[in-house]
Amino acid sequence: MSARSEPLRRRLVTVLLAGALLPVGLAGCGIPDQTEVQVDGRGPAGESGSLNGSGSQPPTRSATEDPKEFIRDYLAAAAGEREQAYDRVKQFIANEAQGRLRKKQSSEVELTVVRLLESPESRLLTNQGLWQVKVRVQQVGVLRADGTLDAPAARETEYVFQLRPADSGSQGLVITDLPNVLLLSDEALRQYYGTHTIYFWNSDQNRLVPDWRYLPNAVPVERRVTEVVRWLTGGPSEWLAPGVTKVPDGTAPINNATRSDDRWEVNLTMPAASDDRLAKLATQLAWSLPELSGQLDLKIQNQKRRTVDLRQERADHPVYPTLRAPERFCVYDGAIHPLAIASEPVGAVPVEGDANRNVVSAALSRSGDQVLAALVTRSGQQQRLLVGTGPNPVNVFNGSSHAYRSIGRPIWLRSADVRHPSGLVVADGTLYQFDGDAGMSRVAIPGQVPVSGSVTAVAASLDGHRIALIIGGALYVAPVTVDGGEVSVGAPRPLTTRLTRLTAVDWYAENQLVFAGSDGRLPAIYQTTVDGAGEYALNRDTGATVSHLAAFPGGAVGPLPSLSYMYQATAAYRNNPIGKIERAQVRDVAADAKPSDPSAPFFFY
Amino acid sequence: MVTSPPPDSPTAAPRRLPAARALWRVLAGRTARLAAGVHQTWRRSLQVRVVSITLVASSLLVGGFAYLIADKLTNILLENAETDVLLRLQNGSDYASKQFNLYSQPQEAQLQDTIDGTVNYLAGGDPAQTSGVVVAITADNFAGYIESRTSPDVQVRPLISRELRASVAAGNVAHQVRTGTLDGQRTKYLVYGSPVPTRFGQVELYYLVPLARQDATAADARATVVATGAALVLLLGLLAALVTRLVVTPVRVAARTAQRLSAGLLDQRMVVNGEDDLALLAASFNQMATNLQRQILRLEEMSRLQRRFTSDVSHELRTPLTTVRMAADLIFAERDEFDPAVARSAELLQAELDRFEELLTDLLEISRFDAGFAMLDSEPTDLVPVVHRVAERLAGLAERVGVAIELDLPDSPVIAEVDPRRVERVLRNLVGNAVEHGEAKPVRITLGMDQSAVAITVRDHGVGLKPGEEKLVFNRFWRADPSRARQTGGTGLGLSISLEDARLHGGWLEAWGAPGQGAQFRLTLPVRAGDRLTTSPLRLVPADATLPFGGPRDGGLLAIGPGTGAGALAVGPAEGTDRAEVAP
Repeated sequence: MSARSEPLRRRLVTVLLAGALLPVGLAGCGIPDQTEVQVDGRGPAGESGSLNGSGSQPPTRSATEDPKEFIRDYLAAAAGEREQAYDRVKQFIANEAQGRLRKKQSSEVELTVVRLLESPESRLLTNQGLWQVKVRVQQVGVLRADGTLDAPAARETEYVFQLRPADSGSQGLVITDLPNVLLLSDEALRQYYGTHTIYFWNSDQNRLVPDWRYLPNAVPVERRVTEVVRWLTGGPSEWLAPGVTKVPDGTAPINNATRSDDRWEVNLTMPAASDDRLAKLATQLAWSLPELSGQLDLKIQNQKRRTVDLRQERADHPVYPTLRAPERFCVYDGAIHPLAIASEPVGAVPVEGDANRNVVSAALSRSGDQVLAALVTRSGQQQRLLVGTGPNPVNVFNGSSHAYRSIGRPIWLRSADVRHPSGLVVADGTLYQFDGDAGMSRVAIPGQVPVSGSVTAVAASLDGHRIALIIGGALYVAPVTVDGGEVSVGAPRPLTTRLTRLTAVDWYAENQLVFAGSDGRLPAIYQTTVDGAGEYALNRDTGATVSHLAAFPGGAVGPLPSLSYMYQATAAYRNNPIGKIERAQVRDVAADAKPSDPSAPFFFY
Repeated sequence: MVTSPPPDSPTAAPRRLPAARALWRVLAGRTARLAAGVHQTWRRSLQVRVVSITLVASSLLVGGFAYLIADKLTNILLENAETDVLLRLQNGSDYASKQFNLYSQPQEAQLQDTIDGTVNYLAGGDPAQTSGVVVAITADNFAGYIESRTSPDVQVRPLISRELRASVAAGNVAHQVRTGTLDGQRTKYLVYGSPVPTRFGQVELYYLVPLARQDATAADARATVVATGAALVLLLGLLAALVTRLVVTPVRVAARTAQRLSAGLLDQRMVVNGEDDLALLAASFNQMATNLQRQILRLEEMSRLQRRFTSDVSHELRTPLTTVRMAADLIFAERDEFDPAVARSAELLQAELDRFEELLTDLLEISRFDAGFAMLDSEPTDLVPVVHRVAERLAGLAERVGVAIELDLPDSPVIAEVDPRRVERVLRNLVGNAVEHGEAKPVRITLGMDQSAVAITVRDHGVGLKPGEEKLVFNRFWRADPSRARQTGGTGLGLSISLEDARLHGGWLEAWGAPGQGAQFRLTLPVRAGDRLTTSPLRLVPADATLPFGGPRDGGLLAIGPGTGAGALAVGPAEGTDRAEVAP
């Protein structure tokens, strides 16, 4: 064991050890349990700046000492994005009263929309600055999370608030007692919300039916697409639901619709998404997003299934059949005569001369090349409906089997089904449908319509699937479906108006109604939206009860200045331009006709 | 083996310590024995060495390759996963960015819904279908407004390290491998993070992809590589063993043959197979053995002839010498009648004839040794009377030269199994020499004994021996001073014969001497005939001998330093200091 071999042995031991350790090292060279942070590069840079949405924001609690002003602000505070509605409203409420208003889930937030009938009344209760404010209101409806304004649920006509000065440190007032609903005035609704029309297919999937929605102005434009998609997949307004088809069950948007370079992308889940369904949905989207004109990619479960050129889609699939220029007519001396007002085109009466006698009122409509004519004629004390269809001029008329004491103005439903023309008419307080052969049958009106009230007027929208009714002097809208000539009416939704004892109504625009009634003292003509929220007076004093009201609803698509209507009160009147319909404006009057007043003016389109 | 003491025993600890020590000692002893055994095997077996070295070297090589391959595989797997996830992350970040760009305020409540939806969308909806990928969106900057969301809903915070969060918050796309428990079992995750720019600031998107599959694949590959490597190493070891065996076996045969040859079996030969190198070795070996055998036989013959010659010459000389002797005796008896010069010649003749006879006797004795005819006639003998006898017989000579013979003998008998005739001859020779060279100073004979050996030393104080002469004195006809004429007895063969006698006993005969200090001879013999000697009961160097430098002081140190001559060492008593120091 010399000293010489000692290092040799040590080296040998080292080598042996290394050999033994190798497998250990090998076992350790798998994926490590933990590594250092490795940077792959810079992330994407953001584009800053805010969106050009918003518009005006609802008022916050101001420092006003005027309780009436304060309550007005309070009634507007809930407007805007509904998630923060409670937070905004609670700024107005004293700490001790915060519990009165229980917070709900964002999707359950409902705003009770009321119309202030008069300015709030305030009363000082104590010397410590305790106020009581009474607000007399009319229930307009319930604004739901999906932007629909449903028929009012509450019946209160008066809300009472108590106010006290704000705690030291801040100015103004706070509410100490309040109704436990989120209130929104119709003014605030108009001011802080935008209205959007979206379209649903009718039950035959051949006609788009407008639905009317509210969206806070605070929502940026970019998000409106998402909202529209949500609305479309969420289904129509409650009242409209019986008349239209929903998108297939289970259809729901996946996240937001996004835009890149003027190209929108909508991702949906849709069970059994056939091309046909997608095509229908594409048309719905195109019309529901009228402000967009670019491309829209429709993805189903992340798979791009259809690309829609929105402008092209709208051009290819119009909502309504093209309208010809409307022609004005009136009844003069028991016969239909054209009216010549200003430089508008004057049409020829599309009714053969023999039938054009003893006419009380009439409804003319075009359906393709056909003319649909419904005339209410008088014979003695009785009135009878004559209906004729055919090419212009119509010469074959059928009379209704029954005669009635009084028949209101008939209307044609502009159904897509041209083979089964049908219309509605009110006779002796009952709603009837009639067909091309003047066969009249009663139309049942479902729902809890006051039985005592009788139907006095009916009007149909341009799409032919919504009607406005006056039942018992109150205004209703209802969906209508025509199935093989059989008309069925859905449950009517009441519209709240300032007017009472309504007498006449017509469809004024796509989502606007014009109606006549009494504001309590004077007969007046008002206009309102299809949900009754946006009401204002067109004519505060018509001089006499309006017995007849006809409007041209195609303003948006037709050549006539929009929002045109004519009515008969003491005489026949018109707007656009406003004025009385003079005898001289009646054309084709036979020389031997005895002078009378023009009456029952109407549009032919 | 080791039984742990009951834990509640209070006396366990003190008792445990000695037990542990004992165990340690046993273990250390075994280990040392094992190590020694291994070491011996290592030194003795070429095959073991070659196989071991082959195993170690091939292990290193194969292990290195295996490590490289396994490492590469793991890296590829990881890189693939990273590439996949990065792609997903980029797409996800784009998507999330588009989604969140619709919001300009973190407070907007629908933002949270969008985050939920985005996370679910990116995670692929159904957690059962997403193979464990977890997607998370966090918004550390807007903690008050935006809640982090994860899909599937698991707690991912512990998996996203603070460093990664900081890196992503700084606007980097970064990743990290982390191990954690999300769905019940501990898994490695590749955590990838990317910032998602929005109009109101930055939120962070994380993908957590489980690496279980990659890990399993890597483990599989590793196991395969290790198994293959191990098999390869074993194969190489076997191969090395086989090859070594092919080489070592003939070498072992050669070694055995050489051993037999050296043991005197001169006709041993190796078997020659084939024509390869080993066959050449065997042939050469055989040729060498043949040559050696021939040479040895020749030398043996020559040696035999020489001894025979010496023996024959001695015998042949003895017969005429006997005749000459008788004549010389006659002349010597009648010398008084001759004139003094002739009488003187007769005396000289008588003396030289005595020496001649002695010389012949010694020569015959030597030739008997050389011929191997010397026989040991051992019997248990008390050596004390032997010494007395020798001393008495030489007393006359001693008296003549004025040398006192001192005896230092034990009181008890010293019994050893020896041939008394030969021992006496050796002693006579040694004491005679001592008396002759004693220069009138006392000669001391000492007898010592221990369990295995007896020893006799003979000390004189004559001129002594020069360095190197201790060996030469045993040579035949050696003289310290060749120019000096042989005056006294001494044939020059006495010490040679004594050495042969000692060897015949299996004993030693050694000499010590120093100029001016006299000399000492020591005869050491085994107590039992045939035993091997290891030590001697008496010292060869006498106690009164002085070292060349005078010797160290009692208890002092020796200083060893460079000497005067080249490469010589100087040894002397250390000076002044009582510390041992080693000079460089």
